Amino acid sequence: MASSFDNVELLSRIRADAPGAFDAFVARFGGRIYAFGLKFCGEREDAKDVLQDTLIQAYKSLRELEHADAMTSWLYRVAANACLMKRRKGKFAPEREISLEELLPGPGKEARVQIPDPAATPHDDAVRAETKARVRKAIGDLPPAYRIVLVMRDMEQLSTQEVAAALGLEISAVKMRLHRARLMVRKTLEASYAAELGAKGRA
Amino acid sequence: MSGHHAHGGPECVALFAKLSEYLDDELEPGACADVEDHMADCERCREFLESLRRAVAHVAATDAPELPEDLKRDILSAYGRTRESS
Repeated sequence: MASSFDNVELLSRIRADAPGAFDAFVARFGGRIYAFGLKFCGEREDAKDVLQDTLIQAYKSLRELEHADAMTSWLYRVAANACLMKRRKGKFAPEREISLEELLPGPGKEARVQIPDPAATPHDDAVRAETKARVRKAIGDLPPAYRIVLVMRDMEQLSTQEVAAALGLEISAVKMRLHRARLMVRKTLEASYAAELGAKGRA
Repeated sequence: MSGHHAHGGPECVALFAKLSEYLDDELEPGACADVEDHMADCERCREFLESLRRAVAHVAATDAPELPEDLKRDILSAYGRTRESS
């Protein structure tokens, strides 16, 4: 990631609308925003729209930004909004919060850990591609307000504080949504691997 | 390790809410020790925590392709056009 000094210089070039400032802005943040959009939306076309909307809107309004330190979280805020608008859910709030009870495993004899350990996944391209598809689907199935937090925390590796600032949420709300998002992904993956095991058992 | 703790009690339910903070090392030391004590005693919770850790690791390992050069060019030329027309 670029140092804050680089962002200070970039921001002053953007404020002055200096020649090449937009190109430098795209070079610095384009890849990161595109990857973020793709992780959230799952479709290249949507990610492309998110990238274009974010860069052009952000570039115009970045001139008003006072501190370069806030540039990254502010960009994520614009990009997150573009992602959520893309899904026609133009709000950071879920329709309802999912209760923990819904995700609590039952006391019964559920199967042992069936999700394979990623550290022990074989170096087999077909297995890896299949695992990625499973994980992407589990992420894609999440309600948008939870998915956005998971993508920012666990895929973009932003801190809880950065996500809270970007989404305008309390720290406690970020933690709560992240936990539920992870629990939902775990549940989907577990069910997916259990179904496969069941199918093999019947075969 | 198993057998002397019946999984599903109030202790399991209370800890269930803290598992992500535990994985992220965001719990206070006291609360962290509570989780570890419980895990030592409850096989089912231990398995659950391991499956959650694996799920998170899978998510973190899911990358996205780099920004395609043609898309970058499209954006730069689209921006150029908006400037020319304004």
